[in-house]
Amino acid sequence: MALKRFSTAIDGTIPVVALLYNDEELLGSQDTVGIYDGLQKSPRHQNGTVSITSHRLFYIDSSNPEAASFAIDLERISRTDYYAGLFTSSAKATLYLSAPATSTEQRPGGAYTQQDSADDRVLTSGGPGEAVGGGWECQVCAYKNPPGLSPGASRVCELCGVPRDALAPSTSTSSSDSPSHHVPLSHLSSSLPSPGLAGRSTPTPSTPNQIRSSKDPLPCPACTFLNHPSLRSCELCDTPLPRHQSSKRILKSAPVSRPGSPDGDDLEDGGEGVIKVSFRKGGDKPIYALLKRSLKGKAWGVWVATPISRADSTDPQNRSVGISAILRSVETTTAAREDTLQDALQDLEALRIKAKDMVRLAAELNDRLSQATSASSPSQNAYGLSEGGVMTPNQEPEEATFIRSSLTQLGLHMENSPVTLDMVRDERKWVEDLGRELGKVLQGSTSASSSGKDAKGLMSERGIIALDEAWGGWNRARGMALIPPSTFLQAIPLLPSYTSPPIHTRTFASGLRVLHRPEYGRSAFAARLAGFLVSRGEKSTLEIAMEMLNDPEYGDSYGGAVGGEKQTLSVALTQEMIEDAERDGDACRDDAGECAILGGGGVGGMGGAGEVKWYPNLFLGYAWDGMEVEETV
Amino acid sequence: MSLSTHTTPSGFVLPSIHAAPPFFTKQPNPATEAIVIEQWSKLILSYARHRKLFMLRVDDAETPGGEWDEVLRNERINRRLPPTHLESILTAMVVKGVAAYEPAKQTRSVLLYWRLPEEWAEVLHQWATSTGQMNTIMTYYEITEPAVPSPLSNIPIPLLRKAIAILAKTNRAQVIAIADGEGVRFFAPAK
Repeated sequence: MALKRFSTAIDGTIPVVALLYNDEELLGSQDTVGIYDGLQKSPRHQNGTVSITSHRLFYIDSSNPEAASFAIDLERISRTDYYAGLFTSSAKATLYLSAPATSTEQRPGGAYTQQDSADDRVLTSGGPGEAVGGGWECQVCAYKNPPGLSPGASRVCELCGVPRDALAPSTSTSSSDSPSHHVPLSHLSSSLPSPGLAGRSTPTPSTPNQIRSSKDPLPCPACTFLNHPSLRSCELCDTPLPRHQSSKRILKSAPVSRPGSPDGDDLEDGGEGVIKVSFRKGGDKPIYALLKRSLKGKAWGVWVATPISRADSTDPQNRSVGISAILRSVETTTAAREDTLQDALQDLEALRIKAKDMVRLAAELNDRLSQATSASSPSQNAYGLSEGGVMTPNQEPEEATFIRSSLTQLGLHMENSPVTLDMVRDERKWVEDLGRELGKVLQGSTSASSSGKDAKGLMSERGIIALDEAWGGWNRARGMALIPPSTFLQAIPLLPSYTSPPIHTRTFASGLRVLHRPEYGRSAFAARLAGFLVSRGEKSTLEIAMEMLNDPEYGDSYGGAVGGEKQTLSVALTQEMIEDAERDGDACRDDAGECAILGGGGVGGMGGAGEVKWYPNLFLGYAWDGMEVEETV
Repeated sequence: MSLSTHTTPSGFVLPSIHAAPPFFTKQPNPATEAIVIEQWSKLILSYARHRKLFMLRVDDAETPGGEWDEVLRNERINRRLPPTHLESILTAMVVKGVAAYEPAKQTRSVLLYWRLPEEWAEVLHQWATSTGQMNTIMTYYEITEPAVPSPLSNIPIPLLRKAIAILAKTNRAQVIAIADGEGVRFFAPAK
């Protein structure tokens, strides 16, 4: 019968979860179901629970879980049908079972071939389940594969990907490849009228991995002593003998074990069978859906998709084992990674093109704004439908300013397209143009542009800017035609002639370079600092950074607060400038951390007690006003 | 910023710069630091002369309570001269010749020359003349611990020896070995 041929007996007293392979997943279950073997009800399986996993379908009988439970590999299910039920007839799922594809293609080999291979499957994955699902040692790399994997996954070595039986002359998986010396033997054995154990343990000398006859001496897994088959543990070392346990299990699950003689059904059905699952109390739809999903998922074949096995499967001619296979798999992985990387870089290319579009869009937007502003008439059609008719003339400059300032903040604001080398042939001219462009980026367009209002530049509200920020801002503004740092440095010396007030470069002792307006020049700033310190008293670096710019007398030409916000210098930059001033003798320091009697000294000091305060240079021009001790002899 | 002079309990008038916190910090700017050191050495020598102090040790800056506290510390502005800064000041003073390491071959204590050894030689000879010690043999102890206080009271022996050596060069003194150490005989300068 189909049920016997395709199912595997299991011990239903064990929870389904414990029966799963390591890579198997329980999806759902439904109780009160019956099983039809073929078209007839299977009398032993009329009330049980069906569980669907990623690999198998379990039936756990509720009245006789130990003997009547079974599992079917989903791999065998070629197709399914669903019958919704009518009147007293309950919903049914029909499972059409077939032997593995490899053997069904071997039709010429005859029905027995298929039956035999099906038998092999049952044998290898059923009775000696420990042998397939259990741990094994790879013959090539000697890796000990852990037990508990599904048959599919355990067919190849987890480490090197070499099939488990690669070196064996004939195996269950290769049985269809060599039917010539396989068929007669199995034919013989399967047709032998030996009941139970004898028939189940088909002796096939060419398949070392398969079960030995129970009459054969049983080698101990530990000491290799050949024990009598009826012994439970090794005679010499007491190691439990695996064969014995499985035979005991088989005895228990007699109905699904290989029968002694073939059934008539087998001959009629060939390699196919039908099993129906009858849902007596509903629950059919979710379980059927799960079954379909699981069949679609083909979890048992997933291992084939791993890179290692793909390397083998794509190149069956060069299929090899061992180190070379490992190396090839590494190569394949590398190649795949390179492909991925190239794909990624192509994406980047696309992004660059998009960026160009965005810059152009910004330019267009700017142009439109300019036109709209210059044409003071309320014809705002250029703005499109979104703002269209509702806009009033006095709203417009505000909007325009907002958009424009947004563009500037993004660094996307350019009056016109950036200067590139191919626009200008002469390199000297090019650098000059770059200098002019950089000046505009930094100071905004001071020339009377069509926009009417000066666009803001990077340094419109700041007197000093670090070189990297200027470079970054310029390149953002240029969008596509990026400027390398070397070219940037070439353009900098030309800045003073294209900016007003001239922007100069300044290099601090630490190597930090900044662009600055005149009031941040070395001597100019030192003088301002000295004046600030003289009039406002000693200050810490932080205080100078926070307060000096807002000081109406000693701040920069932006007049302290801009837009209601207090302007501050960065502390690090302030530190650099003060130290330069100190180096020039325009300031001197008081290291309270080092010199204080209380509160300073030691580690860090407390709060602000340990920080350096700056004084104007008190020593310059100091005349001794202490006591002149006259010599009295 | 107005800084003012300050009179210490010992009657010494501290310069106004002593009330400026930066005065106590070692200035990274060499030019500024040169001024700082110059002012410090002037202050130290004045104070030494005022208090008749001959030795200055780096330890004086480390541990409060010494005779140099009035100068090396300024409680009013919560500042003290860090020992490292004092050491560099002492080094500069030795280089300038207004101090000498005592004992030699270390840098943590100096003999202050608020009078140079040559000046001390003159003072010594003048004192010997005025107290009528010509042509008599005197022990060093008699010079450093005279019954009547003199400018030479408590003068350190090394400094005294230097002064005598200078006098000996010009034939105005002679070092004589006596039973309990060394003695000196002063001569009137050759006419």
